[in-house]
Amino acid sequence: MKLTRRDYIKANAVAVAAGVAGIQGEANASNLVTDSDETNLKWSKAACRFCGTGCSVMVGTKEGKVVATHGDVKAEVNRGLNCVKGYFLSKIMYGKDRLTTPLLRMTDGKYDKNGEFTPVSWDMALDTMAEKFKAAIKKNGPTSIGMFGSGQWTVWEGYAASKLMKAGFGSNNIDPNARHCMASAVGGFMRTFGIDEPMGCYDDIEATDAFVLWGSNMAEMHPILWTRLTDRRLSAPDTKVAVLSTYQHRCFDLADIPMIFSPQTDLAILNFIANYIIQNDKVNKDFVSKHVNFRRGNDDIGYGLRPEHPLQKKAKNADKAGGSKPMSFDEYKAFVSDYTVEMASELSGVPENRLIELAELYADPKRKVVSFWTMGFNQHTRGVWANNLIYNIHLLVGKISTPGNSPFSLTGQPSACGTAREVGTFSHRLPADLVVKNPKHRAIAEKIWKIPSGVIPPKPGYHAVQHNRMLKDGKINAYWVQCNNNVQAAPNMNEETLPGYRNPEAFIVVSDPYPTVTAGAADLILPTAMWVEKEGAYGNAERRTQFWQQLVDAPDGAKSDLWQLVEFSKRFTTDEVWSKEVLDANPEFKGKTLYEVLYKNGNVDKFPLSETNKDYANDEANHFGFYLQKGLFEEYATFGRGHAHDLAPFDVYHKERGLRWPVVDGKETKWRFREGSDPYVKKGTGFEFYGKPDGRAVIFALPYEPAAESPDEEYDMWLSTGRVLEHWHSGSMTQRVPELYKAFPDAVVFMHPTDAKKRNLRRGQEVKVISRRGEIISRVETRGRNKPPVGLIFVPWFDASQLINKVTLDATDPISKQTDYKKCAVKVVATGRV
Amino acid sequence: MIGIVRKIWRLVCTTWVNMNRPAKHLSIGFLSLGGFVAGVIFWGGFNTALEITNTEAFCISCHEMGDNVFVELKPTIHYSNRSGVRATCPDCHVPHNWTDKIARKMQASKEVWGKLFGTIDTREKFIANRRRLAGHEWERLKANNSLECRNCHSAEGMDITAQSDRAATAHQTFLFTGEKTCIDCHKGIAHELPDMTGVEGWK
Amino acid sequence: MRKIAGLTAVALITLSGLAGTVFSEELITLRGGSVISEETNAPAMPKVENTDQRRVRNYPEQPPTIPHHIRGYEVSKNANKCLSCHARTRTGESQAPMVSVTHFMDRENQVLATVSPRRYFCTQCHVIQLDSKPLVENTFMDVEDIFKNGKAKQ
Repeated sequence: MKLTRRDYIKANAVAVAAGVAGIQGEANASNLVTDSDETNLKWSKAACRFCGTGCSVMVGTKEGKVVATHGDVKAEVNRGLNCVKGYFLSKIMYGKDRLTTPLLRMTDGKYDKNGEFTPVSWDMALDTMAEKFKAAIKKNGPTSIGMFGSGQWTVWEGYAASKLMKAGFGSNNIDPNARHCMASAVGGFMRTFGIDEPMGCYDDIEATDAFVLWGSNMAEMHPILWTRLTDRRLSAPDTKVAVLSTYQHRCFDLADIPMIFSPQTDLAILNFIANYIIQNDKVNKDFVSKHVNFRRGNDDIGYGLRPEHPLQKKAKNADKAGGSKPMSFDEYKAFVSDYTVEMASELSGVPENRLIELAELYADPKRKVVSFWTMGFNQHTRGVWANNLIYNIHLLVGKISTPGNSPFSLTGQPSACGTAREVGTFSHRLPADLVVKNPKHRAIAEKIWKIPSGVIPPKPGYHAVQHNRMLKDGKINAYWVQCNNNVQAAPNMNEETLPGYRNPEAFIVVSDPYPTVTAGAADLILPTAMWVEKEGAYGNAERRTQFWQQLVDAPDGAKSDLWQLVEFSKRFTTDEVWSKEVLDANPEFKGKTLYEVLYKNGNVDKFPLSETNKDYANDEANHFGFYLQKGLFEEYATFGRGHAHDLAPFDVYHKERGLRWPVVDGKETKWRFREGSDPYVKKGTGFEFYGKPDGRAVIFALPYEPAAESPDEEYDMWLSTGRVLEHWHSGSMTQRVPELYKAFPDAVVFMHPTDAKKRNLRRGQEVKVISRRGEIISRVETRGRNKPPVGLIFVPWFDASQLINKVTLDATDPISKQTDYKKCAVKVVATGRV
Repeated sequence: MIGIVRKIWRLVCTTWVNMNRPAKHLSIGFLSLGGFVAGVIFWGGFNTALEITNTEAFCISCHEMGDNVFVELKPTIHYSNRSGVRATCPDCHVPHNWTDKIARKMQASKEVWGKLFGTIDTREKFIANRRRLAGHEWERLKANNSLECRNCHSAEGMDITAQSDRAATAHQTFLFTGEKTCIDCHKGIAHELPDMTGVEGWK
Repeated sequence: MRKIAGLTAVALITLSGLAGTVFSEELITLRGGSVISEETNAPAMPKVENTDQRRVRNYPEQPPTIPHHIRGYEVSKNANKCLSCHARTRTGESQAPMVSVTHFMDRENQVLATVSPRRYFCTQCHVIQLDSKPLVENTFMDVEDIFKNGKAKQ
């Protein structure tokens, strides 16, 4: 090949550079460093920090720094692959603005709500915080404190936090950000099956003949599961992929049956499929008669808004949203008979032939089918219903709990399952699906936790959206946010969140590695260790629990959430937080610190430091003097062992690439509820939905009901929000990785070209997106990865400069209390600037 | 019904007979001038009709074009670009010189047939036929050395220093040498692609 | 404007170890110094870096970023525009880098005849770069700099 002039110049420049380097460097024989002391990296496994897929990554470290990451070839989940975020994990901890000192708002050396953030010592930070929490409890009782946690907490962080709140402070006001993410899925599981989390596993992907995506943009949000789905679809060409969404996204690139439906009409489509199955005599009668009950759910249940909201007042069953009555199959058949193909097509805008093609995927007894869904179903004012309705379909045809037949709720966060759900960090839950309302469940927890009876309050605490309402109303006065960025995430920020955080009656603490939007709205910021700077465990969407070691040290001054929680507990005695009756009945607890009661309780401090792995540091264990993580995990695991939530011994997880619970006799469970694959199913039953007392799952009759807010003349477009591939959630990690930042630096308004033209807008033009609650400034995008239909826009929420949650509506599913981020009414107007 | 047909037929016959009779009362001057004017009107009408069918508005007046290929064109560089010079349907799909244009228009009668019989009147049917339809256009452009591309993008007018490195290299290696023609590499530049299994350059 | 303010905030935080440095909501680096309740101007839509110059990878396993625009490059079940240049058989003509051998491996690490379908959607790992300037510097260190530094210290 000939060298062009340009090539010649380039080649010469390299030679010159090498020459200069040669002069400065040592007289090495080669320009390749080969000394093994220098070139050897220490490789260790870890779970990816981002989504609920739960990929395993190999992390290479050198001299206390992460220097490389790649997909773990030994991991079944991802077999050596990562998505672009995963490949750049190496850089998430190295944003230059890592926080390294607690910052307290102060004026003249004293805490002041309106003061400036001032560096303080950890002692001063935690003392001030303790003072505020004590004052709140003293004045208004334990319901006046609150904690907002995360599906990104490690298992033991969530467990330690839940224990501190419920068993220590006697307050159920702890809720995770998973409330915004998975609560409807949990509601669906509990209502239909009486036990949380999917029955199947990712192995279903390679075993199935058809995929149906209901409100799940897996191509961007679960990229590695999408690689498995793509692999299956393209290597087995008879496989079918159906994609349903309110706008066209990357999954449509693989769709055999693409469907765009009007927001909220998924409910009608789901009922149509059930009707189609019945009308065409495709019901699996044997399965249904043995394993299913039918119930009519309450309708007209409101929209989870404040009680004085007109929509709430109008709703007939707002206060008994989860109620239901038994019904017969024939009554159910009559109920769904209204949902004809004509009706579903008319309402949804999906052509009839495609609806029938979709229904056939489920109805055809020769075809196996996996349904996937994520936020399209869950962030829905009828999210629990949507979950129930998809289970209806799978149950009617008996396509469940067998390889390749799987209604599969995907999780958003890396440990929404492992931490938020299994540990029970919700305001109404305890570990292993126990609930605070049930006195027997409270007694079990109090026994395992070795605390007096009566400490755990029976009334569920405030849920996520209510936290912000209660902060605003002055009902929560001391509040701690860990491992999430809720001021950027929570809906209706202008009217609820920000006024709550800045309410002079509230003291807000935010633990975060970086100065996020939420940190900026706080009164005290605690600099926090992240990801592999601490030993950790996550549980993914297929019930797989995965561990990692502390691979590097956190920057000086930053401490893990776990360290913060346990250290904070030392600052309280039982006398300051428990009722007189409890203390009088249990005098041996008087004067003890919460640290002694909760963590130095004989369980959590059972494992000595000598059991930690000497190849890795463990800052928390060394600080407290015992193997804290192991103690917390083993105490937590006693809740589930023998109760269909069995976890393996702690040390096993450090060796395995994760195991799917229940782990019984050392064996993981791939498909639950089916004889032969689930050890909890009784012999001779075939299937047993043992979460329900009679072993039968429930098919629910639930109607289509409209959205909380729909476009009208003034606010004439639907707004849907969501993520993009390159950024994780609010972007606090990924926006600090230059390559990810430069791949998608700023949020945009994805819009149909016809809508742009109608409003005299063009691509790149600066616009305001305005709702009744607030507005943002962004730019129009009429091409690219998302193609909304006329009448709908999509705005991602990763951009801290374009806080779309100022615009979103705080309507929630009345059963799950999860926000609907996919539907509200907005208008888009030009700012007039260039 | 039969009555109407009979009437029309009679009218046609009388007109034909009258037209074939030599003019008794008209001057030769009037006849030749009149013929000329009539010719102009006829030609003008023909040309106007031709021009109307040669606009994008006409093309996308059928939903088959409007809802499929035109929607796909919109985000591409041939519809939206920095200077606003854009290609309309006939720029690429109708030959510009007269004889080829007429030949293409005659072929279009087949498309009228397709329209009447609904060959691609649903998205599913369109997708099922896309490979065949795209194939026709690729063949045509291959046969005429990408003439419709070159009507705007002449090799001579191309400033490769204003192109990206890879484009400049490719054009120098394949286009200017005549080894390849535009459509060889630029399939799918304005519309989505059909299943490309077995297509040269995509294997 | 946003970017300048962002850099100032970074500078402030870097200095925050020093006694007496105070700041308020402006510390939210990614908002470039604007308070939460305010709306800032939206930055102009950046352009795609289209230089065709390969960029140094942070570590060998990092998927290379795409050094050219990919506007209108279709990757669907019908066609894969990326592979029309980067497939093994196409690289002679295109002179583009061949997709690496890892891309031919299935889930069991068996090398297939062609690129594994699990790697079919290229943009899941390979992304374009826009000409926006990052709001926050990243202090990730190249492993070769780490051992060079180590040597320098000795």
